[in-house]
Amino acid sequence: MDTKIIFEKSFNRSNRNFITKMDVIAKDLTEIIPTSLIRKELPLPNVPEVEIVRHYVNLSNKNYGVDTGIYPLGSCTMKYNPKINEVIARIPGFSQIHPLQEDNQGSLRILIELSKLLTEITGMEGFTLQPAAGAHGELVGLLIMKKYFENKNILKTKIIVPDSAHGTNPASAKMAGFSIIEVQSNEQGEVPLDHLEYAMKQGDVAGIMLTNPNTLGVFDRNIKEITRIVHENGGLCYYDGANLNPMLGVCRPGDMGFDIVHLNLHKTFSTPHGGGGPGSGPVGVIEELIPFLPEPCLISNKDGMICVERKDTSIGRIKAFWGNFGIILRAYSYILALGAEGLSRVGRISVLNANYLRHNLKKRFHLPYDRICKHEFVLSDKGIPNDITTEDIAKRILDYGIYAPTIYFPLIVNGALMIEPTETETRNNLDRFIDILFKIYDEAKENPDILKKAPHNTPIGRLDAVLAARTPKLRE
Amino acid sequence: MDFIPHDDKTIAEMLKDLGLKELDDLFDDIPKDLLKTQLNIPPGLSEPDLLNKLVKISEENKVYQSNFLGAGNYFHYIPSLVDFVISRSEFYTAYTPYQAEASQGYLQAIYEYQSIISRLTQMDVANASMYDGSTALAEAAIMSTIITSKNIVIIMEGIHPEYVEVVKTYCWGQNIELRIASQDDLMNNLSEEVASIMIQSPNFFGDIEDVVEISKKIKKSAPNCLIVQVMTDPTCLGVLQPPGLTNIDIFVAEGQAFGICPSFGGPGLGIFTAKQKYLRKIPGRLVGKTKELNGEREGFILTLQAREQHIRREKASSNICTNQALCALSALIYLLSVGSHGLREIATQNIQKAHYLKEKLALIPGYEILNKKPTYNEFLLKCPDIDKFIIECKNVNILPPLRISSYYPNMKNVLLVCVTEINSKESLDKFLDIASKFQENNMGDS
Repeated sequence: MDTKIIFEKSFNRSNRNFITKMDVIAKDLTEIIPTSLIRKELPLPNVPEVEIVRHYVNLSNKNYGVDTGIYPLGSCTMKYNPKINEVIARIPGFSQIHPLQEDNQGSLRILIELSKLLTEITGMEGFTLQPAAGAHGELVGLLIMKKYFENKNILKTKIIVPDSAHGTNPASAKMAGFSIIEVQSNEQGEVPLDHLEYAMKQGDVAGIMLTNPNTLGVFDRNIKEITRIVHENGGLCYYDGANLNPMLGVCRPGDMGFDIVHLNLHKTFSTPHGGGGPGSGPVGVIEELIPFLPEPCLISNKDGMICVERKDTSIGRIKAFWGNFGIILRAYSYILALGAEGLSRVGRISVLNANYLRHNLKKRFHLPYDRICKHEFVLSDKGIPNDITTEDIAKRILDYGIYAPTIYFPLIVNGALMIEPTETETRNNLDRFIDILFKIYDEAKENPDILKKAPHNTPIGRLDAVLAARTPKLRE
Repeated sequence: MDFIPHDDKTIAEMLKDLGLKELDDLFDDIPKDLLKTQLNIPPGLSEPDLLNKLVKISEENKVYQSNFLGAGNYFHYIPSLVDFVISRSEFYTAYTPYQAEASQGYLQAIYEYQSIISRLTQMDVANASMYDGSTALAEAAIMSTIITSKNIVIIMEGIHPEYVEVVKTYCWGQNIELRIASQDDLMNNLSEEVASIMIQSPNFFGDIEDVVEISKKIKKSAPNCLIVQVMTDPTCLGVLQPPGLTNIDIFVAEGQAFGICPSFGGPGLGIFTAKQKYLRKIPGRLVGKTKELNGEREGFILTLQAREQHIRREKASSNICTNQALCALSALIYLLSVGSHGLREIATQNIQKAHYLKEKLALIPGYEILNKKPTYNEFLLKCPDIDKFIIECKNVNILPPLRISSYYPNMKNVLLVCVTEINSKESLDKFLDIASKFQENNMGDS
């Protein structure tokens, strides 16, 4: 197999294929720009078009996506990405529109309409579509909290984050200037109310960041109590919407008592993950927090024209222009395609698929939190024979031509395998996944070496992560 | 429509396997009063109906024949192979390459992206991308305070006003003091407490700053102060001196100009680069080359993850997780498509065509070019009647330049004009015709 990197395919031949006609009379460049500002060397490769195309088609063959097969990465909601959304994002009346041009009512309409739809889906009162990803949304949500309390002249420096939270939660809290109080979840995977109450009473606590269902896939049955305790102690409740998928058309964060919600359009609303972005992380808030949303905010005039509204109370800008519009557009298209009924089927079937896997896999694997799950569940490495690790299992899964679950997360489960199938997998795919995991379990017993040295069928064998970090080689 | 494959029989069988009767039984653990029976959302649409509806909405936007608007988002030619490559399912439907052995394609591509950005900028290290230019600049501000353990950041005039706003918000979040200084009073603001100075070149008004000279001056009086450079159209690096050959410590840019369509301003690409000594303080993902554990073949893997949020949690260098991978891939394919000769030619054409327009405009009575320094593809044009000018542009199917007063209310009657390689001479001459029509001495006639 060709393993060269692209720089080795360069020729010293200039290619004018993409150069526009130079139809004005050119001056000597140094008459316009002083020589001292002009660069001498430009060490970019010159690769013929056919070789570029082959290089990346071959690389794509060494990569796995949702269109290749099941992608059971827990908490990432790797559902099918409808192709119509790609067509819509490429309509010139959207893709060729400049963010600062007038005559932009079509784009603004998409923004305001999607905000309304998300408001209804989450039970919030107002939305910003500015954040570019989930973690960006978290930061915005926390800055809104900060501004809210600043505005009331109340000093709040801490935020409660359960140990089952995504790693971005504490990192975002720190970026908003908060320190973290970690609350340990109980043996049911839920937030212990007495601990929560105790933490809230420590003074200057801004509130809680919670994921529900949490990263164990468990719905916290005390959710109304949790939000009540936080509110009674003067705090706000933040909903991490990374796990919203199973709640679609079933149960809304607003009704649970949350004040701020972020969503991941690239998870719940089917926009492609792109190999790690671009995503989009809209943030919804209750009415009282609308004045603090980032700029620009949109309103609809009486005559139906949409325009920008300035608010002195806003936290300010958090990104240039209007957010990741191309992603926002795809999510809007997805919601219109599904409608109310389609969305509630998404919630229900994603939970059915996850429970089908959970119910069957627990026949062989240890399931530390054994109850009906929502969109995902977490197995542990307990009882796997011959010192086989979670990583060994994950690498062996790759050998069967499918992608592995999220591993070693959440941290509260030893050797975690976090599995989220989503609603778009067929039963056959789920059955095959179960068969593969059973087969691997048997291999662990009978032929552990094959796991320890896995993967064998991928373009490359298991890679040395320690070497990579010890002597970083980050470019040619 | 929906994208759920199960039929009723399958659902019934799966429920039976679980010992349940109906789908609602899966939600028994949710308090009854929280269950939502019906969302107030219209019924779903089929593909043709959906497409019709969205095409109609898109018609409320206007696509122009030629464009003179830049200011942070640019119209450049995009080679066809860019969209071809990023449309490969294996790339665009993948996620962050956690399982390296099943993600070698993307990992290698990002490694190649990091390499090509390093070569282009001559900076030591480039990360795998940030959200956009504005957030990359904000993260650079935070990074500079971490490296220096100082708490003041100075922003020089001429940085894109929306970027300044974003940096303000991020700095407020972390209680970092932000000062805005003009070039003249920069030296007065320099003190031992300053973590970094941020400068945009070419700046928002189009001026190419003499970064070499300015950075020398800064380093002379404040050797520990970091210098951050930002730019919004890095095609200029086809001709202009790269930041890596100057005293710049952190260089960031908006990469939309590299093969990403305007798309109402997003998604774009945050290019983030730094000197080697700051490697472990860089935010975001990094791809590294390594070897097999049980073999000799080389491969690629996400590395230095100990800086990142999923391991370090609140001690991470940033909270960024999802970045703009697919846009980084676009930039890579763009830069490869045009190559060194092409990028040089593109940058040259931007300069020459903008210069042609600038020179001719300066000859028309009532018009004045406000830039005193050399410019790349943007410049400030003072004109006698900005409203008439803009209306006439639209009448002849030209996307008019930016009214600079939308950001700087005191600068009345000034346009920020942008000319790229795709502006034909014909479109430039049409623009000149409009200017002549509304020149100072025949305003009354028009």
